Amino acid sequence: MTASRRAPFRRNRLYLAGLSPAAFLLALFFVGPAIWALLSSFTNRALVGIDAANPRFVGLDNYVRLFGDPDFAKVILNSVVFVIGSAIIGQFVLGLGLALLLDYAERRGFLATSLVYAAVLLAWVNPTIIAGFLWVAMFDFYNGSLNVGLGHVGLGPIDWFGSGPMLAVIIANIWRGTAFTMLIFLGALRTIPSDIYEAARVDGANAFRRFWDHTLPMLRPIAALTLLSVTMATFGTFILIQALTNGGPALQTEVIALYAYHQAFQAHAVGYGSTIAVVMLALNLGFAIVFLRWSRARA
Amino acid sequence: MDEVTRQIMSRRRFLQVAIASGVVVACNPTSIGSTSPSQGGTAPSSGAGGSTPPSGGAISGTVNVTYPDEAGFKPKYVEQAAAAVKSQYSGVDVKIDLQKIGDDDFYTKLLLRLDSGDVPDVIHVGGSLIGELSDAGYIEPLDDYLAGWEDWKQYPKAVQDGVSYNGKTWAIPYGLDMRWLYYRKDDLQKAGLPADWQPANVQGILDAAAAVKSKDAGVLPYALYAGPAGSSGTADHAFVPLLWAYGGELQDASGKWIGDSPATKKVMAYYAKAYGDGLSPKEIITATKPWTAMREKLGNGGLALLFEGGWVYGGWAAADKAATEQNVGYLLHPTESGGPSFTVGGPGTCWYITAKSKNKQAAWEFVKAVNTAEIVGKLNAEDPHPVARTDAADVTEFKSNKYLVDSTKALESARFTIPSPDYPKVIQAIQTATARIAAGELSADDAAKRYTDDLKQAVGADKVTSL
Repeated sequence: MTASRRAPFRRNRLYLAGLSPAAFLLALFFVGPAIWALLSSFTNRALVGIDAANPRFVGLDNYVRLFGDPDFAKVILNSVVFVIGSAIIGQFVLGLGLALLLDYAERRGFLATSLVYAAVLLAWVNPTIIAGFLWVAMFDFYNGSLNVGLGHVGLGPIDWFGSGPMLAVIIANIWRGTAFTMLIFLGALRTIPSDIYEAARVDGANAFRRFWDHTLPMLRPIAALTLLSVTMATFGTFILIQALTNGGPALQTEVIALYAYHQAFQAHAVGYGSTIAVVMLALNLGFAIVFLRWSRARA
Repeated sequence: MDEVTRQIMSRRRFLQVAIASGVVVACNPTSIGSTSPSQGGTAPSSGAGGSTPPSGGAISGTVNVTYPDEAGFKPKYVEQAAAAVKSQYSGVDVKIDLQKIGDDDFYTKLLLRLDSGDVPDVIHVGGSLIGELSDAGYIEPLDDYLAGWEDWKQYPKAVQDGVSYNGKTWAIPYGLDMRWLYYRKDDLQKAGLPADWQPANVQGILDAAAAVKSKDAGVLPYALYAGPAGSSGTADHAFVPLLWAYGGELQDASGKWIGDSPATKKVMAYYAKAYGDGLSPKEIITATKPWTAMREKLGNGGLALLFEGGWVYGGWAAADKAATEQNVGYLLHPTESGGPSFTVGGPGTCWYITAKSKNKQAAWEFVKAVNTAEIVGKLNAEDPHPVARTDAADVTEFKSNKYLVDSTKALESARFTIPSPDYPKVIQAIQTATARIAAGELSADDAAKRYTDDLKQAVGADKVTSL
């Protein structure tokens, strides 16, 4: 009796030992800062000025201020547009499309497959800030490749960041992030056994039916996870936008993460910046719950 | 609060008078070498219970100096000062941390450092930050040290007041800020305007810009800074001088920051015209560090009109002195009524000692060494600012330069920005408000109303009013 009870306990201890490095790192780099941000959001902590010398507890003042902030609605709307445009439509759909094409090409042993694969991966392995500067070099008004190219054929220059700032940052982010979803989907596609498709073909299903009836259902669990991680990563991203437009012109590309950064490190209001970060964290948790429910319900 | 404001207001008025008298002193060649040898005779004035610095003797330890410089004028003088301190005090070592980044980035980095407790001994940032740095307890008042420093008498009262806050002196300035309305004589002539162009009033700037636009598509007419990308230039080189030109004020008599007002509406209408008519390029609000491109373009004739810092002239003169003197004209900022033109003055970038420095006496020795008349004169001759200490104006490199003499004289017509700890936050509200109007999101009247909200967000609703 006792022996059979001790065995799972010993096994649990092993699990715990195996999990603890990850748990420790998560606590150190995620839970710790999150708690710090939550505590800071109830204070008037600042990097400079009288509030830096005497930080004090201000209750919900920062939250009241945030929800009365006339710019906050615009920032949220920008974030939604940016996430839908670059994560859901761009990275997710384009990534899936690319994965299907590459999978198709691979199964048939096309020559250029690995070249395409490498080209997409190259965009992804760059550090974000480098990707940002690459696109600045592309869009820059005076010396950008696009305007210089247009100049050679007697057109332009076009003020890309002025006339379509959100579209510009979305394009850059799609370019940068598509490889991730493509890789995941490609991996998932490879796990689908070919005989399913052969059986379907024998049954007379066309390409669309094969995709709709077999490929898509088998991708669904992985699709939910990918959508979740892409959405959350995009929602929290700001380095790329910072390099491209820094939120401008006016606040036309200011997304929530960038707004938190600007409040904390440009206005030096750490307490207020933390408040925005906490709201962001809550929204991300909301996304996670919705997506996970969705993937479980369908799986 | 009211008391502080009244102090500020009266100080500002005082600054104008005193700067003028300081200039007179500066032009007097006998002022050099007139320092009396009464060292030690003056006792520290606020020494009660405070730490009175030792009068010489054994000073040792390491001084950590951190400063930003993208232009590259300062390093040789900082090295020179460090070497002087090291040779004078064998026990002192000076470690220099030169950061080749912009002032804004440097400041954020520095604040994070100060906040974390990893504190350098000597820092070099704008004098307009004295209020918020002092309130935060990051910097050391220098009064006790100044009491024993004969050279402090070389700084005009106005300059001394420019670096004081709450009755104490917090920093040593080396060169004062002033601004010019620069214009390209060649570009204006092509547009049918005279080479010695002089706008009758503030509208004259827009008229000249419109003339340039109608004549030559290859030249940008005018650069009016707006938005966060313009950094503090959006305030000090654009919004604030325009506000003053239209008879507005930043603060009312009780010290509240003024949002919407008749003058604010006129400034917004001016912005709407400049951006709406394509006189100012929209890239200013989207490019990073737009001033880099604008300064370069004015220097090579690609831009006709620009209100900018006096120090900018140095880059053009260094590239081509003769062409710059021939083509670049500089004027004071005109007003709405055509009344007396003015410039915007400020204490410039200053040297500070940190409050948590463990080696303040040695740090002070470095600050003195980097602010000798010789270094101040030569540095300002290269990186053109009016000198902060009057005897430095006698350094040959400085006084032989007509441009610098003109700039120093222009300070007589200077209006000074306010050394309030809230001013940096107000600058951010100005950036937000000007970005909106420049991007064409709001009408001038709505943008002026919205500026009140921006100010409330920045400094708190109780400190904001509208007229």
